[in-house]
Amino acid sequence: MKHIGFRFTAGVSAVVERAILPVLSALCLTLPVHAATRPHYGGTLRLEMRARVASLDPREWPADSTGAAAAERLASLVYDRLVRVDENGRVQTALAVSWQHDADSKRWQFRLRPGVKFHDGTPLTPDRAAAALHPLLGNERLVSVSGEWLVIQSSQSMPDLPAELARGRHFISHTTSEGLTGTGAFRVAEWEPRRRLLLAANEEYWAGRPFLDSIAVEMGVHASEQLIHLELSKADVVELSPDQVRRALQSGARTWSSAPAELLSLVFNLRRPAVQDVRLRQAVALSIDRSSIVNVLLQKQGEAAGGLLPQWLSGYAFLFPVAADVERAKQLRHKLSAAAPLALVYDSDDALVRAVAERVAVNARAVGISVQVSGARSDATAGADVRLIRLRLGSTDPRVALDSLLASLGALESLPPAGAVPEQLYAAERALVESLRVVPLAHLPETYGLGPRVKNWMPRRSGGWRLEDLWLDTSSRADESGGKP
Amino acid sequence: MSFRAKLTTIFSMTVVAAVALVAWGVSTYARRAFEQLDHQRTDALLAQFRREFSRRGEEVVHRVEGIADAEATVRMAIDLARPQADPSLYVHDARGLAASHQLDFVEIVANDGTLISSAQWPARFGYKIDWVTGEKDWKSQSAFLRREELPDNVALALTAVRTVQVGEKNLYIIGEQRLDKEFLASLVLPAGMRALLYRNLEPAYISSALTDASGPVSQADRYAPLIEQVRKSAGGVHALEQTIEWSGDPAGAETFHAIPLAGRQNELLGILLVGSSRRELVMLTNFIGWLAVLVGGAGILLGLALSWWLAARFTRPVERLAAGAREVAAGNWEARVEVRSRDEIGQLARAFNHMTGQLAEQRERLVQAERVAAWRELARRLAHELKNPLFPLQLTVENLLRARERSPEQFNEVFLESTATLRAELENLNAIVGRFSDFAKMPAPHLQPVNINEAVRGAVKLFEAQFSAIGRPPITPELHLDEGVAAIQADPDLLHRALQNLVLNSMDAMPAGGTLTIRTQSQNGAVRVEVSDTGSGLTPEECARLFTPYYTTKQHGTGLGLAIVQSVVSDHGGTLAVESQPGCGTTIRIELPVCPPAPGQPSAGNTRTSV
Repeated sequence: MKHIGFRFTAGVSAVVERAILPVLSALCLTLPVHAATRPHYGGTLRLEMRARVASLDPREWPADSTGAAAAERLASLVYDRLVRVDENGRVQTALAVSWQHDADSKRWQFRLRPGVKFHDGTPLTPDRAAAALHPLLGNERLVSVSGEWLVIQSSQSMPDLPAELARGRHFISHTTSEGLTGTGAFRVAEWEPRRRLLLAANEEYWAGRPFLDSIAVEMGVHASEQLIHLELSKADVVELSPDQVRRALQSGARTWSSAPAELLSLVFNLRRPAVQDVRLRQAVALSIDRSSIVNVLLQKQGEAAGGLLPQWLSGYAFLFPVAADVERAKQLRHKLSAAAPLALVYDSDDALVRAVAERVAVNARAVGISVQVSGARSDATAGADVRLIRLRLGSTDPRVALDSLLASLGALESLPPAGAVPEQLYAAERALVESLRVVPLAHLPETYGLGPRVKNWMPRRSGGWRLEDLWLDTSSRADESGGKP
Repeated sequence: MSFRAKLTTIFSMTVVAAVALVAWGVSTYARRAFEQLDHQRTDALLAQFRREFSRRGEEVVHRVEGIADAEATVRMAIDLARPQADPSLYVHDARGLAASHQLDFVEIVANDGTLISSAQWPARFGYKIDWVTGEKDWKSQSAFLRREELPDNVALALTAVRTVQVGEKNLYIIGEQRLDKEFLASLVLPAGMRALLYRNLEPAYISSALTDASGPVSQADRYAPLIEQVRKSAGGVHALEQTIEWSGDPAGAETFHAIPLAGRQNELLGILLVGSSRRELVMLTNFIGWLAVLVGGAGILLGLALSWWLAARFTRPVERLAAGAREVAAGNWEARVEVRSRDEIGQLARAFNHMTGQLAEQRERLVQAERVAAWRELARRLAHELKNPLFPLQLTVENLLRARERSPEQFNEVFLESTATLRAELENLNAIVGRFSDFAKMPAPHLQPVNINEAVRGAVKLFEAQFSAIGRPPITPELHLDEGVAAIQADPDLLHRALQNLVLNSMDAMPAGGTLTIRTQSQNGAVRVEVSDTGSGLTPEECARLFTPYYTTKQHGTGLGLAIVQSVVSDHGGTLAVESQPGCGTTIRIELPVCPPAPGQPSAGNTRTSV
């Protein structure tokens, strides 16, 4: 068995990275300035989001990646994973402090961080971690306990298992009589599914108590209302759609955008007869004016996407063409027989996606393809010929991110093994794009509007929150005018 | 059919025809008046529609001008006129402008015709709208109808365009308001009328494009023929009309006037249907019809009464004339008709009275003449009858006078012969006088049941010896007697006498011999007796006078035989007829009732003669 490395030092470094360094750096940077800018504990962060999360139980999350992404963001505040991925895409320790695998990468062993407790005081043990992971990993992977080790083994090689465990729903939770509990920086204080979540600071968080006393999350708030609430200081952190960024800036709000972390794309349902002809899918793909979508609808807050991965992540995205070819699309359309309008479905709660869907319909109409656009809930798109969805990349590792996208699409294509050269990844991605099962449109950043109280907003480049590092300037005027959550 | 009935029928039909004619005339006039009113109402509604259309158009123009004149729009135009301008900054502005200016559709179009922002179809930005750049001067243009494409369908809209000019570049503001059910709801419609709008935006007729003030129209396919007719009419400038019956009830029908609505290029974009219910017309027509029926019925009754009265008034003098005529026919020559008017009927009555007067006068003269003639005939007969015995009496008396000069023996011989002759002639005279006396003293019949066949046989038996007497041509009697005849009430002696005279008369008619035929038979409650001879027959003149007393065609007859027969038959309430042709014999027919009428009742007896 190959020993990857003793990572207790990594665990210490994580504590240092998450708790001590921001404090020290903030202290150093703010010594000359007013004391109010110094980090301190306390306060309630008011956060609004568009999505309506129905459950924090990873086992109940919807298959749709957008809905799952929102749930994953909230869950990451309550639960921890065994490992995490840093800004460079490297796997780092979390609840697991070390791990090792056999030569075939079919058996992995994880040693858990000692002294970690769930929010109800129950100690984290390999047995409890195994019980949490077992339903998440499926029947093909056997989760067991061997002494102090948590063992995951499979008949197939699992070279990317740590990266896989560092993303998605692979949280370690514990079932109690009151529900699930986790080991995260915050515990659930109040929970109204699809409406409201109140989180309280976990005083015994293994990486140190977060600065915030609590976080109040309002779900299902329309984008325009979020911006208004931000302007009126009724919210501290809001999600901004790309077309709102300019207005937010004009109103003096702070904004923060991640690197393109979402893929906006058309996904054809190949089981529908209407879209089984590849020429039709190609005609639709060639008709789309991506530059107009990015420049106008996204207000230049994104990138036209020809491939699945963004340029910053893959480095080869420019190789995928993004320009429309209307004449070619028309030629393809003329070769097709008359057909019923394509049913294009989008998430009815997402105004930006709706605007893009309508633009796609306009472009398709210009080449003679009728597209009927309709909104639906993300879990009610079975009758659609094509869906317009947002796919979260989920990782800063291009291979992992692509794997995540493929998993979200239900694609069965195999990717090159870990450590493969970019050319191999490009070839795999190109094969998928040229199958025209999915038509990338744009890569979107995650954009947030930040209120004046919010300090040390340092999310991950790929868009994940790091609210345990955030603190509030409770002495500012904004705090005085802001209401309680 | 009586004259009165004819008159009543004519009067009644005249009244009905007059009422029907008036009802038809009133109905026709009412229908025309209603249709004229309907046209006036339709024209008024159409004028109202045009006013509303114009008002809405001005409103749209005013609102679009408001957008074009707004400071934000001017700033937008200035910004977009700059090189490297970013039109994407304004992609959502049209929606806000549409909401703030209460327009259904707003589009902002760049100088080159590129759509910058669209309220109704935001995703359409970047596409060219060429028609808007084709017009040089939009300021003087009023609102017009236009086919507006939407993401899922098309709409009919009142459109106005204004420009914001910055340097040589224009920014076009297109504002539109839907022409739909809200527009129709704003029209004030008279009772019984409604307005529908067909948006002619598709190549073929679609029922969902038809709306009224409340939304989609039920049974929209029923309008298809009229709309198709308008669509196919060249230029689509003529209003067409069609009546649609929604059910079997004519009152439920509606007449629709279709008015085409054209766009800027005179293309047919809409059709306004103005529907007018025919209920009022049908109810009015029904009312007139029922009124006509009632008036007609009353008229018929009144006509019947009036015509009955008038007919009675007209026919009463005629009926009096007819009654007078019947009285005259019955023998009342003194019958007169009352004259109450001076009209033709009065003249006719006067003529009738004059005629009856003349007839009575002539009859009197005729009776007088016949009486004189009868007396002359009687005198002649008496003279003739009396002359025959008187002449031997004269000769005998003269012979006696001359015999006085002879010897007593000769005288006695002559005297005895002469007295014998005188006695014979005197007896002859006595017989002649007796016959006349008998005729004058015809007794009243004493009725008792009599078998007519027995009476016939008795009469014939008296003459059996004479039928085959020597020196006389034989006469063969033939009796055809119906043994089933009923007994009649008659005087047997008078009946026997009448039959005896008939047999004797027939024997006299056959001096050369022949056949005497006597028949009896029952005849409708009466008994018929026919006595026929095979003699030389009678002329019509002779037949006419055959029963006249003292008239005879024989050398030695008294002319009383058949007169006595006629008297007996008449006294028994029977009838007597004679049929004869010269050379073919004569038949005298007697019909006697089984029960003769009581004395004092008018007798049906009469005499008929046929030749």
